Amino acid sequence: MVDVDLSQLPFSLLDDAGRARVSGSLDLVYFGRGEIILEAGQAGENVFLIHKGEVAELDVTQPGEPERIGHYTAGDLFGAISILHGQSRYRFCAEQETLCYLLPRGEFLALCDDYSAFAESFRRNLAHKTRLLAAQRASGGTAMAGAMLARTRECMRRPHLLARTATITEAVATLDAQHVDSLLVEGESGAGMVTKTDLLNALVLEKWPQNAPVRSIANFALVTARPDQYLFEALVAMTRHRVERIVVMEDATPVGVVELTDALSHFSSRSHVVSLRVEQADDLASLSEASRLMPDLVRGLMAQGAKPRFVMGLLAALNGRIIGKTWDLLVDERYHGASCLMVMGSEGRGEQVLKTDQDNGLILEDDLAWPERETRMRAFSDALLELGYPPCPGGIMVSNPQWIGGETQWRERIETWARRSDADSLMNLAILLDAQAMAGNPALLARLRDALFERCAGDEILLSHFARPVLRFSTPLTLFGSLKKPQHGIDIKKGGIFPVVHGVRVMALERNITVTSTLERLDALVADGRLEARFAEDLGEALSLFTELRLKQQLERLDGKEGEPDRVVVQELSSLERDLLREALHIVKDFKQRLTHRYHLEYA
Amino acid sequence: MTARQGIGIDREENIMFKALRRAADRRRYADSRYGWLFQPYTGDEMAAVACRATEPADRHGEPIAIAAVRLSGDRVLTSESLDLHVRRPAGLTQETVCRHGLRGIDLDDGDPLDDALERFLDFVGNRPLVGWHLEDELALLNRGLRPRFGFDLPNAAVDVAPLYQRRQRYRHPQLEGRPRFEEAAERLDVPVMGRHSALGDAVTTALMYLRLVRDDTARRRSS
Repeated sequence: MVDVDLSQLPFSLLDDAGRARVSGSLDLVYFGRGEIILEAGQAGENVFLIHKGEVAELDVTQPGEPERIGHYTAGDLFGAISILHGQSRYRFCAEQETLCYLLPRGEFLALCDDYSAFAESFRRNLAHKTRLLAAQRASGGTAMAGAMLARTRECMRRPHLLARTATITEAVATLDAQHVDSLLVEGESGAGMVTKTDLLNALVLEKWPQNAPVRSIANFALVTARPDQYLFEALVAMTRHRVERIVVMEDATPVGVVELTDALSHFSSRSHVVSLRVEQADDLASLSEASRLMPDLVRGLMAQGAKPRFVMGLLAALNGRIIGKTWDLLVDERYHGASCLMVMGSEGRGEQVLKTDQDNGLILEDDLAWPERETRMRAFSDALLELGYPPCPGGIMVSNPQWIGGETQWRERIETWARRSDADSLMNLAILLDAQAMAGNPALLARLRDALFERCAGDEILLSHFARPVLRFSTPLTLFGSLKKPQHGIDIKKGGIFPVVHGVRVMALERNITVTSTLERLDALVADGRLEARFAEDLGEALSLFTELRLKQQLERLDGKEGEPDRVVVQELSSLERDLLREALHIVKDFKQRLTHRYHLEYA
Repeated sequence: MTARQGIGIDREENIMFKALRRAADRRRYADSRYGWLFQPYTGDEMAAVACRATEPADRHGEPIAIAAVRLSGDRVLTSESLDLHVRRPAGLTQETVCRHGLRGIDLDDGDPLDDALERFLDFVGNRPLVGWHLEDELALLNRGLRPRFGFDLPNAAVDVAPLYQRRQRYRHPQLEGRPRFEEAAERLDVPVMGRHSALGDAVTTALMYLRLVRDDTARRRSS
């Protein structure tokens, strides 16, 4: 009978009969302030659904003051995991007078038996939950959400599968006859892919004979998707693996191929328009015009529900092209081979979403004579400012001679920074570690990075100093709802993004991982065996969630809303989003503990 | 017994009369099917009661909805609540319909009053009853009970309204007047459940009672 909103997850996974069973078996109970609702180690007898009030989740297994690890408020649910695990891992305590609905253990387990999706939702990790959220948003979202609901099967092309014995000649003939860019070829264990580029390289560069079997040049490590997966998942996979096509598999047989260009145009013709404009620009004015389209592009993609991971990838690429173009326009071609423009910080990681400050530097060959360098660099910084990239407040830009140098000079700088290990030096190292070559000769940066790894990767003391800032900001797990002034919100950048990005950066330094984006670093750390795949996936999802929340705030600021872009006001989130945020912050906390352990941060 | 000083002579006679009547009822029905209702209650449950009547606050109204929910410790056992609609009584007027949002047709498939009262008795048993201005609810129910079953509800009774009033006087001595249900719920920070349904009122009343008792024990402990 009771008034309870069962339209939210996980109850939305039940049907009407299931929801009637829930509302028919709920009791109400009052807990006074400070009362322990569920003690650590106690057997779970009920699922609690908060109608009103606030509940803290405390870890009492550690000695000393119980540590708060979670905070629940109206609409939130707890106790389900305790039932599934047999006992509660933590203590749940009412922070305020709290009115809860109780769903008894027996009925909860019966519902789990009868509704597998409902049961699953309690066992899922963060990645699954965010997918649920995306699906839920897409279904109740804007009119444009239709495009986001597209499945891979709606966008795939028919695969062209060659027999095992097919030769290169046959492959080229098929390509030509079918007007396609790629083919599949049967191999020992499943299909492999051959693209036009592969064929060209094989024939021209590697001098393969034309009658060689085509499968010897095929790539059998395929990036795949299922036909019922969302198209944007395929897009994300392509972005992450930096491939331009993905093979759609059903029961281990290829049923289609999704091309990147098809997928992109399926989503937004605008992303195409912007990149075309950038490519066609031949002076600063037209470049600036193209760059002004970017906030709208972001807004459009977000409104469609595109994952921030994908939006970030696209924007990083576009920003990179704009900066590269500017460089080409302003710097004489004869210096291109002997210099390397690098972008650093979030831009280097490809993780800025709207345009950020200019964080860039310049590496020169040692004996390069470039008389008008200073004026050119100032012109370059001014041009970027013109294009809408504000100057870096810390002066980390090519108009500052401290961020220009010959290769030897840079190596000396690294040495000095590593030896000093003070806050500024460590920050400089961190910034440099994320550097990515944008224009000029990338080999210069590659050599510098090698030098950086050689100096720092094995230096345990330096690594420990380097990792310490991860602990500087506490994870804001307790701020849900109980803020004196809710508008102060949670600082998502300090509390969420920074620890993940920096922690992963430290591990990447230790393991000589040269990719710069946090998600790619995570993949590399998994491949390296430093992180379990599941934990890395959760960290990546947590980061995506923070980024998405932050991006939303940034867009709102663009629309003229007051407030700080890094503050997330928990009260404005839906209960599912709150749940995800809480879980993401838990993951951050776990990660910090691992880092503390690994880099001995407990001895401050 | 300061609480009784304010009670007038009328009230005192009334109480005495009721006590006599209850003693007579008990004697008469001790061996009947309802004898157990007259036994003192030994469990730790209570039952919150709320009714809707054709003529509220009137001596001739008839119940059209009867709801009850049991309380056990800190819990309101909403999962086993009683929510009865009584079949269209003679006194159903247009005005009542508007007031409760219950039309005659809604009540046609309700229970006849005899059955409803019987189920009510089985549900609450001899538990103490809790209500908001419980006197009115009891009067309404007894008006139905006495002609059919021959006795009044013998249960111990706790009225939440004076409990609340006492708390308000203790905290805000300047406040006067008969407290209103919604206002009391708001002051006690208790959500008003199931708007305008008898069961919703019963649950809200139960929650208010839990709040008031909790406040009371907390105060006694601290002083």
